[in-house]
Formats: sequence, C-alpha cells, structure tokens
Amino acid sequence: MNQETNTSTLNRRSFLGKSLGATSAGLVLGAPNILRASESRSDEINVAMVGFGKQGTVLFDAMKNIPGLRFQAVCDIWDYARKGGMGKIRAHQGEMPKAYTDIDEMLATEKGLDAAIVSTPDFWHSPHTVKCLDAGLNVYCEKMMSNTIDGARDMVRAMDRSGKLCQIGHQRRSNPRYRYTLDQLINGNKICGQIVNINGQWNRAVTSSQDIAFNPKLAIDPAVLTKYGFKDMHQFMNWRTYRDLSGGPISDLGAHQIDIFNWFLGVLPKSVYASGGNDFFKQREHFDNVMAIFDYDTPQGGVRAFYQVLTTTSAGGGYYESFMGSEATINISERSAYTNIYRESSAPPWDELVGRGFLKRQAAAAPAAASSDAIASYESAAPEAYALPGDISKPPHQPHLENFFEAVRGKAKLNCDARHAFESEAPIYWVNPSALSREPITFTTEHLSV
Amino acid sequence: MTADTSNQPQQTLALVYAALLIRLWLAVRAIQTGIEKFAGTKAATDVVSIDGQPNEYGLTAGGSVKFYSSENYHGVPEALMGKFKAEPLMLKWALPVYDMILGPLLLALGINILIGLASRTSLFLLGLLYISLTWGLILIKQDEGVSWLGVHMILIGMALALSQYNRFTVLKKW
Repeated sequence: MNQETNTSTLNRRSFLGKSLGATSAGLVLGAPNILRASESRSDEINVAMVGFGKQGTVLFDAMKNIPGLRFQAVCDIWDYARKGGMGKIRAHQGEMPKAYTDIDEMLATEKGLDAAIVSTPDFWHSPHTVKCLDAGLNVYCEKMMSNTIDGARDMVRAMDRSGKLCQIGHQRRSNPRYRYTLDQLINGNKICGQIVNINGQWNRAVTSSQDIAFNPKLAIDPAVLTKYGFKDMHQFMNWRTYRDLSGGPISDLGAHQIDIFNWFLGVLPKSVYASGGNDFFKQREHFDNVMAIFDYDTPQGGVRAFYQVLTTTSAGGGYYESFMGSEATINISERSAYTNIYRESSAPPWDELVGRGFLKRQAAAAPAAASSDAIASYESAAPEAYALPGDISKPPHQPHLENFFEAVRGKAKLNCDARHAFESEAPIYWVNPSALSREPITFTTEHLSV
Repeated sequence: MTADTSNQPQQTLALVYAALLIRLWLAVRAIQTGIEKFAGTKAATDVVSIDGQPNEYGLTAGGSVKFYSSENYHGVPEALMGKFKAEPLMLKWALPVYDMILGPLLLALGINILIGLASRTSLFLLGLLYISLTWGLILIKQDEGVSWLGVHMILIGMALALSQYNRFTVLKKW
C-alpha cells in the first residue's frame, strides 16, 4: 500500500482559538479527519499486530470479518499471548505470521508492512505508535492515546511529521448507532431541544474489577519484564492499576464516554472538577471510584456534564451516556439494551418522526399513579419512551477498523485521527490531577493544545 | 382381606399419562439441546429504511440472527472448553471425543425416548450421559447446572419406575 496524507498543522495559538471558542471548536470536533490516503497499489493490506493480549484479541476477532487483510507479523513480549495470537492468525488465514518480541527488530526486519494495530499497555501506546508512524506504517492505536498528555502530543506530532494515518480506538465514533443519533436526532431533527445536562457512567462490580491472576508457569523472564518497564509479572498483568503505566479507571473506561460528550456537543469543556478515592481497593495506586463534572459553553448555552466511573458497584444501569435536553433525553450506550430515548411531555409530538422511520415507539409510558409516597404537585408527567430505528450487526470495534482500512486504501476519511482524538482526550488527562488536588481546573491553552 | 380395585383403571390411566408426559419432557429436552449444539448467529442484513430509503449508516433491523448449520457445531460450548482443559482431572484425549459425540448422542437418545425405541435402555444411557455432564460441571464449580441435572436425573428415575405404564412404543423390549 502506498499513501500520502494532507495533514493540516495547528499551532498552539490557532488551536486555542478553535478549542476554546464554542463555534470553531465545534467545527474542529465535529469535522471528520482531513487526512486521506491516496490511491493504493494493491487492495491487500499487510498488518502487524503490536500487542496480542485481551484487547488485541478483541480487535483481531473484529478484523477477521474484514476482507483484504493479511496479518504479516505479531509482536508481543509474552510468549503465551504471542503464540496464541499466531495460532489464531494461522487458523484464520492459513499462513503463520512472523513472530517478534521487540518492535524495533520487527520494524527493521519486516518489509512491505502497511499498517500496525497497537494494543499494548497504555504507557507503550505512544512509543509504539510513534515508532510505527516514523517507519512509514499507518497506525490504529487503542485509546487512551497515552498515559500522559505529553505522550499523546508526541503521537499527534508523529502523525503530522510522517504523513501517515493514525486512528485512535474510540470505536463509538464509527458506530452506526452513535453516528445516526448525532447526525439525525440531535443535529438533524433536534429532538433534544436545548441540551443542558449530560450524565454518563460506567459502573462495574467488584468481582469484575479484581486483579488478574496468572499461571506462574507462563510468567515472563524478569529481565524481559524489566527491559519493557514492568517491575514484575503482577504489574504486567495489572498495569491498569498503576499510575506510571496507565490513567486508571477514568482513562480506561471513562475516556470512551467523555469522548462522546465532547464529540456530540462539538466543543471542549471549560473546566473540570473531580473527586476520587481508594474506597475499596485500598492498595491500588489509582482511584477505584471517580466522579467528575465538566462545564461547557455551547452555542445553545451552558452545559454541565457529570461522569462517574465505579469499580465497586454494578447497579445503576451499567454504562451509558445520557444527553438531557429541554425536549428529550437520549440515553445511548454501546449496548443496545441500555439505549432509550425519552420525549418530554411538553415537547412537540414525534408521530411524524415515527411514521418516517426516524424513531421507534416503545411501550407506552405508564400514567403517573396517585401515590401516598409522593407529593403529586411536584411530579412531572412520565416521558414517552422511544428507541433507535435499528441496531449494529457487527462487533462494536469492526466499523472503526473498517473505517481505518478504508482510509488506508484511500476510500474514506478517518473518523477519529490522532489530532481529533487528542482534542477530545486532553480534558480527561486533567481529571485525576483535579481529584488529587481537590481543586477545579479551568482549562487554558497549555492544558488542551498539542 | 381383599384390595379395593374399583378405581384401578383410573389409576392406571393416570400412571400411563404420567409416564407419557415425563417421557415427552425428557425427549424434548434432549432433542432440542442436541439441536442447539448446531445453532449460531450471523449479522443481520436487513437495512432499516428511513424516509423510504435504506439508511446510510448501516443500521440493521436487528443486531444478529440465529441460524442452524453443521458448521456451527460445538458439543461443548467454547466458553467452557477452556475451563475443562485447565482441569487436571479431565482426560485431555477424551474432551475432543466428548465434544464430537455429545450433540449426536443427545439427538439419538432423545428420538429413541420420543418414539419409544428401547425406552428403558435409552433412559438409562441418557442418565449416564447426564452423570458425565454433572461430573464436568462439578469440576468447574457450576453448582446451578449440577442442580438442574439433578432434577433431570429424578425425572429419568421416575420414567424408569413408571416404565410398566409406558405405551405407544416402537420397540418395548429393552
């Protein structure tokens, strides 16, 4: 594959103008990537898997459904993951990929690679992505871009410098349900009216948040662990809980959803105020529960967005993002079961929208019953419930990967290139500092720009 | 003293019905479980129309649709296979064999019980099969599944105990 990119550069001053001004930032966040690959020599794309752990497997399983990919090499420091990944690839394509422990050796040895899929621990995202971009590969890198904002900045600079494509794994940006909701329901038919509040959460049970155990027989040589930045095998398996290796739950789980806040609103927040604690997992370096409030100025007015990530409780509706407007609330989630749309009783009727297929009516809302446990005059009429007209029929990561490979072929624009991902992720890097200092942070150019 | 046999025909009819219902339940349970081993899902392809046109986002009428094919066959669900492989008491050579025969065996025994072909022996073999499943579930600590299989075993015991009232059979022997 051969491609060139048409990358626009934004300096810090121009970025400030775009990021903190509501209208222009809306253009920045809402606009698709301007990167576009040029014509390809061949339709087949040679892919290197950089990291083949749990997330690498999720991505590979999604990529198996995408035609025209040849998995040429696998790089992972863990024999167990690398050999397992190679077996999966061989079963899929009938050809064994080349195996590497060290990415530098892989990039120096392998010829003809077109793209790299980076799904290593967060603190390796930036170095690995930069190396691959500088080596002339297009990169799909899992979110969070990096464990540090400077690491994320390096990725944007490397994308600009190399002229290659760099898609960040905020897969909701390519999800048909999310794209339809933003284009047709929020912006097109403006069913929410004025969005005034956002509420998002990812609540996960203690049982799903335990340390990951490992079979000692499969442990990595301590010298190899040290070489690649891990003090021991426990840290290798549980890097998400260490401050030097990851951003913790707010980055691990929250980044996907706070990205949706920024994408849907089309602006960046003005400030963040967060609180967190080691309430249950007291030995962990990262907070196990975090709550954050972002303030936005949008063309329609102010918006407050509350987000919580809990690793100690699953109740409360799972994970979703809720856009709460004067006329409707859209609860959207990667899980269809958590997605619902509620029309305020005072909003214009949606019968026409239902008739034209924009929405599906759910079971009628129950009338508010006379009750002795509520003061009737304070009660609002129950909103009517509606649903999206359709669903996604693919694994959730597949459309985002399809978008990446179509861009590599020169047939599409990236839905979330590194620059747009950075703009959306930058505020998230300041949640933990706000919680640690117990102070709100008002964003400036230095906080949010490359 | 002589037994009162005035209501014996009614009692016999009730026991015949009981035997038939238990036999049907066990047959349906085995057959459908065997069929489900061939079930899989594929992506839905019905694109939703909005304003009379297929939507450009790729929204489909459903996330996935269920279908049956021999290519889908898994005797032991993939999710459990890894757990069984990790068990030191599990015979590694036996697992692939068991995976291969479980579905067909359930279907064959279920059909035998349904049509009444060597009902007692078929019920006995089905009981042995359920014992083997129970043993596997004990290994991986699936206590709920063990309890359900225990209920199945009670029903098999009842069906065998009522075998003298078993009617509508293809082969009564065995």
